[in-house]
This record gives sequence, structure tokens and C-alpha cells, in this order.
Amino acid sequence: MSTAAAPARALLEAELGAESVREGTPADAIGGHVPAAVVTPADEAAVAAACRLAHREGLALVVRGGGTRQGWGRPPRRCDAVLHTARLRGVVEHAPGDLVCTVRAGTTLAELGEVLAAAHGHRQCLPLDPPQPAEQTLGGAVATAAAGPLRVRYGTARDLVIGTRFVLADGTVGHSGGKVVKNVAGYDVSRLLVGSLGTLAVITEVTVRLHPVPPARRTLLVERASAARLADLGDLLRTAPVVLGIADICWPEAICRLRVEGTEEAVDDQAAGLAELTGARLLDDGEAAELDASVAARPWRGAGAIAGIAVPRTRIAGLLEAASAFATEIVVRAPLGVAEARLPELPELVTQLRAAVERLGGHLVLHRGGAALGGVAWPAADGPEVALMRSLKRALDPEGVLAPGRALGDA
Amino acid sequence: MVARLRAAVGGEAVLTEPAEVRAYECDGLTGHRAVPAAVVLPLTTEETAAAVRILHEEHIPFVPRGSGTGLSGGAVAITNGVVICLARMRSVLSVDIANERATVQPGVTNLAVSEAVAQHGYFYAPDPSSGSVCSIGGNVAENSGGAHCLKYGFTLHHVCGVTMVCAGGEVVRLGGSVPDAPGYDLLGVVVGSEGTLGIVTEVVLRLVPRPPACVTTIAAFDSMEAAGAAVSAIVAEGIVPAAVEMMDRLTIQAAEAAVRAGYPDCEALLLVEIDGPEAECRTVLAAVDRICAAAGGTGTRVATTAAERALLWRGRRAAFAAMGRVSPDYYVQDGVIPRTRLGPVLRGIRELELEFGLRVGNVFHAGDGNLHPLVCYDGSVPGESEKALELAGRILDLCLAEGGSITGEHGVGMDKACHMPRMFSEGALATMERVRAAFDPLGLCNPAKLLPTPRLCGEVPGPYRAHPIETAGLAERM
Repeated sequence: MSTAAAPARALLEAELGAESVREGTPADAIGGHVPAAVVTPADEAAVAAACRLAHREGLALVVRGGGTRQGWGRPPRRCDAVLHTARLRGVVEHAPGDLVCTVRAGTTLAELGEVLAAAHGHRQCLPLDPPQPAEQTLGGAVATAAAGPLRVRYGTARDLVIGTRFVLADGTVGHSGGKVVKNVAGYDVSRLLVGSLGTLAVITEVTVRLHPVPPARRTLLVERASAARLADLGDLLRTAPVVLGIADICWPEAICRLRVEGTEEAVDDQAAGLAELTGARLLDDGEAAELDASVAARPWRGAGAIAGIAVPRTRIAGLLEAASAFATEIVVRAPLGVAEARLPELPELVTQLRAAVERLGGHLVLHRGGAALGGVAWPAADGPEVALMRSLKRALDPEGVLAPGRALGDA
Repeated sequence: MVARLRAAVGGEAVLTEPAEVRAYECDGLTGHRAVPAAVVLPLTTEETAAAVRILHEEHIPFVPRGSGTGLSGGAVAITNGVVICLARMRSVLSVDIANERATVQPGVTNLAVSEAVAQHGYFYAPDPSSGSVCSIGGNVAENSGGAHCLKYGFTLHHVCGVTMVCAGGEVVRLGGSVPDAPGYDLLGVVVGSEGTLGIVTEVVLRLVPRPPACVTTIAAFDSMEAAGAAVSAIVAEGIVPAAVEMMDRLTIQAAEAAVRAGYPDCEALLLVEIDGPEAECRTVLAAVDRICAAAGGTGTRVATTAAERALLWRGRRAAFAAMGRVSPDYYVQDGVIPRTRLGPVLRGIRELELEFGLRVGNVFHAGDGNLHPLVCYDGSVPGESEKALELAGRILDLCLAEGGSITGEHGVGMDKACHMPRMFSEGALATMERVRAAFDPLGLCNPAKLLPTPRLCGEVPGPYRAHPIETAGLAERM
């Protein structure tokens, strides 16, 4: 623990008031560091005050939303105080006619889903479906570039965020993008914050593009298929004349869950075409619900490290082969070549699976389990690209206030 | 400096003759001009990097340039600076249909990418209307959109990776051909950075399969508000068309005079395109027709073949150039509003027409709220071009008052740098300055663009003049 940590709580209390600050406990530890304080700012101005103080006093702050992905990246080198976004909550504005919604960063995806469902008979949604929506905050989802099965059609947080408000490490309050979908004014700083693991700025507000809830969906299942046949699906689906919402290969079950989305009148047409093309079986509503429940939050349920993997789509067969050797469980978004795998928390396993993935022309990033596996969380930080990332971190956070070391090891 | 550049990239690839370098003094926005000291025309990433290293050592500012079709002065040269023009780097390096990727040099046009993959049933989705001449490098710089970005997204969503020469001459690879590259999403901020963060010399693009079916329909309305209400109703039904375009009477008349698309005589024309699986297209088209009719739309015409669709689009695509038929000069504004605020903004534009005594034609990417008011004026009347520019600036105020943006696709460049403080707070601008400094500490890469500078914002730009490629009918302003 750093020497600055001892007075951290008193300093924060003096700045933000005692009601916004409590003592840190071992349960609050991040990357093995028990923070001196947990700060829960009431609003963006209070976030800015906390950052200004930390910047001036040399404190390290780690932002926490729902705590679901706190282990992503490398363990931060220091954590004097946790900045908890729990009070930055609620929908600021929902403009249904414009399909946009502005939300405070500490709002959970489930809360947002309820607000959108209540408006206009659930005609609109944010199609971002990472696991644990009841705890996962929107700010955290942005900071970790979160996504779930629906990314096949709708993309990740990178594709759905159209604007952010944020506080830099020195307390500078800024915003990027706006409340309109089409907008090229200025640098797209929001893009830098997506996946930045809370190391470049504290996200306080997010504006997202909403999508209409599809009037009809059909679920199909490819069962007990060989790895080769499942891998071929990636290619078959490429030009299939359907609107694919989900296409998840689940291994080791050797199944593929497919979902088409469309109008009531025409969705059966799509389902029939897809069944013919892939040999998948159309499920009735009961079967579909059962399947959804059985694969929900794969592979996040159960113990172990979680790795995010991406390979060229044509190498999915190789990925399944590597996964069966190293991983307990893997889900591949077939049309994208993107996967999440659960594996035992053993550094040599992560290293070996990473090497196999890199041979396939892809990459592997450790999501859950970084604290235990430390140095192997992200690929080795080297090269001119990383020098540029370091330069960016220094420009936005010169004193290393925000989760120092988490993204780049040293910076 | 010139001798060093010639040694690095070859003598014939460095232009210094006044007559030659003058061709690079401006881009599609001809009101801003400056003659560079030299123009470098590299053929490879290595040559580009070698040139940039020399300029960096000598502290000489440089401006990256593609086809020069930009409409915000983003590629305007710097007096005594150097233009690095990527137009000779025009190879499609590889096409990988199975993985839906194409790797291209930055000078390749949008059209050339689509042509290279058409035989496989694929296309490159972003479609700015200058797509037959504008370059992919320029698309990356501007985060180009086009009429179909409502459904397909912007350049940001179609660029997987780039090779970039940084301001100091280092070569970096950002992103890659597979998604989710580890580390900060530097690619995400490079796209749309208007050539201020480095020079992109190779681009990995995402290819999109041609939709199985595509239909286009038009309907006539007796007011822009009624057409706007139809768009809102379409959206409220949960329909995401591939494109929704709107034109007012003035632009319809101009388009008819120019290309005779056969549009009905009306106050507002709505053009809706729907694509996807065939049965879905049929159902959605029926819904769109029903909604348009309910909102007062008449004279519906549906096109299902490529030829019929092209005819319906022809008037829309020609709308900008066609303004020349009804006005000696015009300035194209590019602003964004929340789609639902069309009514109040159009009323505001009408008030401005009366106040300034100038006509404004309205072309609108109605699906995503991107408004292109065409401010008509006569450059031969003293003071009128200044008046037109002032009116155009006031339209941006209307957009900002409704929570919109000062640019949806043309970029900030030199033209709108001074408008940035009206949209962004000091803190937001300071953040952008810091991002820029992280990439280019010496401020050599396309300086005086995108962010406001006191020097820049004290100057008044010259009037609009038709660009040579526009006069030649090669591109339109959209």
C-alpha cells in the first residue's frame, strides 16, 4: 500500500463530505490492495472534486460500477480509494422518436431495460446483453467493451455508444459525441473510453443508440455436430438470406444456437431457409426458452478464468480444437470468429491457449482471473503501438491516478 | 528539405513547380486556399514514413491528402508546408471473401473496392455520394457515412485495421483483421480524426454481402412536416430502412430540371429504401406504404429492379449539383438534428430565409437527422456570399439548440474549427487537445484543422467556388 493511502480517507471526507466516503475493507480490495476509502460521489461535480484531489495529492483511484468485471486487465499497482458509481444512477433522457437514450454511468443494464420496457410497450431496447445485467452497469459495460450473444447483429458497446460525459484524472469535465447518431464533430473520445478499463477517464454519463425490439424471433438448434461441421456454419451463415440475431457455438456440448429476427409475417420464411441451409431444427417457444436458460451467461457461470478470444472466422475449427485441449467451456459467435472461453486459473494454460490462438492469426485477452494470473492478463506490452497508448495515458492522466498499471503494466 | 525528400522518395514524386503545387491549394471547399511549398506523392508506407521523418526533423508542417473531395477544408495546404498526397497509392492489396476483408491502399476509391468484390456478391457499405472519386484514406479521415449509414453504419464500423505513419515517422498497426484488438482503441479515434493524428497508408476493410432483396419507394407530401411525421411513424413501427431521404420543393425542382427523374410536383418528397431477405422486404414495404398513405403521402412509386432504383435515386444524387440550375452559387451546410425536431428547425430556416432575403433548399438524410441546407446566393452581388455564409452559420445554431451537431459527415476541417466551442466545452476541447498532443507533440500533422486556434478563428473564409471535379460532373456535394 502506498504511503499516500493513510490520509486518503480524511482528505476525501474533507473534500466530499463524510456521507460520500467510508472506510475501505478487505471486501473492497482490488488487485490485492485494500483501499483506504470507498467514495460514492453524488454527482459528476463530486466525481470531478475527487479526481482533482487525487491528482493533487498523488492518490490512486479505481472506478467501480457493479463490480462484475473488476478483475479485467492487469491488477492495478495501487488503489488508495475506490470510486464507486452507485449514486450516478438513472435515465437522464429517453427520446423514443430518435431511438436514443442518455443514462448515468452507474445505472445497471437491468434498470435501463426496465425503463425502456415500460416506455411505449417495450418497442425499443439497448441490445447489449453481457452476463449479470442486474449488477452490470452501463459505465462498466462501456469501460470493458462488453457484449453478449446479440453482438452478432448489433455489435458491442463500441457500436452502440454515441456519446459520453467523462471526468479526466485531473478533474477536467468533458464530453464527446452527442445525442444524435450521425455526428463527426471533433475527436471521438468516447471510442477511446470504450474498453479502457477505467484508466483514461471516469465515465459519468453515456448516450446510446437504441434499436427496435424485433416483432418476431425464431430459435433454431444445430445438435451433436462435429467440430468441422460447426466451424463450417461460420461460412454458411456468411451469405445466408436471413437477419441473424444470435449464432453461438457452445463447446463441449457441440451445439449451435441460431436466432433469426424479423416481422411476424416473414420470420417463418427466414427460419425455414436457415433450417434447410444448416440442417438446424426449429424450436418451439418452450424449447427455445429451455435452451436459452441452459446456455445463458455461458461461459461465465462456474469457476475459472475467462478469456476473450478472436480468430479469423475461417479458423474456427482450429479454435475449437485448441479449446478442447485447454478450456473447460467455450462459446463462439460463429459469424464473427469471436469467442469467450472458461479455463482453469493456471498461467501455463493461458499462455498455451494464447499461443495456439496466435498461431491461428488471432489474439487472446484474459478477462476474469487477472488478479490471480497477473502478468499474463493481456499480451506482452511492446512495440510502437503500445508506446502510443502509453503516450495517450500520460496525456490524459499524467500523474497515474486512474487504476495505474491496469492497462499497460507500467503506466 | 526538398533535396532530402527527393532522395527519400525519388525526384519525380516531389512537386515544387508553382503551376504543379497550385493544384493542391484547396479541397472541395474552395473558399479556403493556401499554396504549399512542395507536394510529395509516395507509393508505399516506407516512402511516406521516410518523408514524414524528414519533415519531423525539420519541423515542417504537413497535410495528408487523398482525392481532395472533402467539403470542410480538411486538406487545405499550409503555406510553406508540404502536402503528402496518397492518390498514387491505389492498389487493392488483397481480398479475403471467406473472412469478409479487403486490404487496400488509401488512394483506392470506394467504388473501386465495391467493384473488386462485386463478383463475389459483396460490397463496401459506406457510400458518400462522391464514392466514385473519393478515397478510402479520406473516408477514414472523415468517418464518412452516406445515404445508407442509417442501417449499415459509418466508416468506423467498416474499418477493422489500419497501418499508420505517425507524426514522428514511426509506423504503427492499429486494430487488425480480427475484432477486439487488445489495448486502447486507438483506431476508434483515428477514424474521423481528419488527418491530424497520422497518415493512414493501408486499410483493412470489412466487406458486406449484398442483401438478397432491395426495394425503393417514393411518396409525395404537401409539407416537409408531413413527410417528417411519416418518417417518425416508420421509426415508431420499429422499421430500420436502409435509407430515408427527403427533399423540399426547391431541390425537387432543381433535380427535375437537371436529370428529369420524374418526381411528382410536391412540397416534399420522401424516398425510402428497404433491403434484406425477400419476404421481409415485401412485408416492410407494405408497412411503409401504409404509413406514408396514412400521413398524407400520395403518388407512391416503387422500384424493385436496379435500373428502376437508379432512376429514383438519380434526382436525389443530382440534387446538389442541380442547384446550379436555380441559383448562380450555393453553399452546402451539413448539420445534424434529432430527427423528431425537423419541424421547428425547418421553421427556423424559413425565418432565416426571410431575414436574409436568400433562398435555402433542403435535402435531408431523414433517417439519421443529417440536414443539408443549400444556401443559394449570387456571388456577383457584393456582400451576398458573406451573407450566405452567415445564414449557413445560423443554421448550425438551430441544430445546436435542438441538441444536434455542427457536422454529420463533412467534418470540421478548417471550415468549422471556429464553430467547435459552440458545441464543446473548454474541458471537452482541452481533452481533444491532449489526445492530439499524445499523437503529435510537435503539432506538425495537419495543424489548424479540427480544433479552434486564435489565428484561424480571426479569419474570414472566401466565397464558395465550384471545384474542378464538380464542374466536370465527377462528384456532387452531399
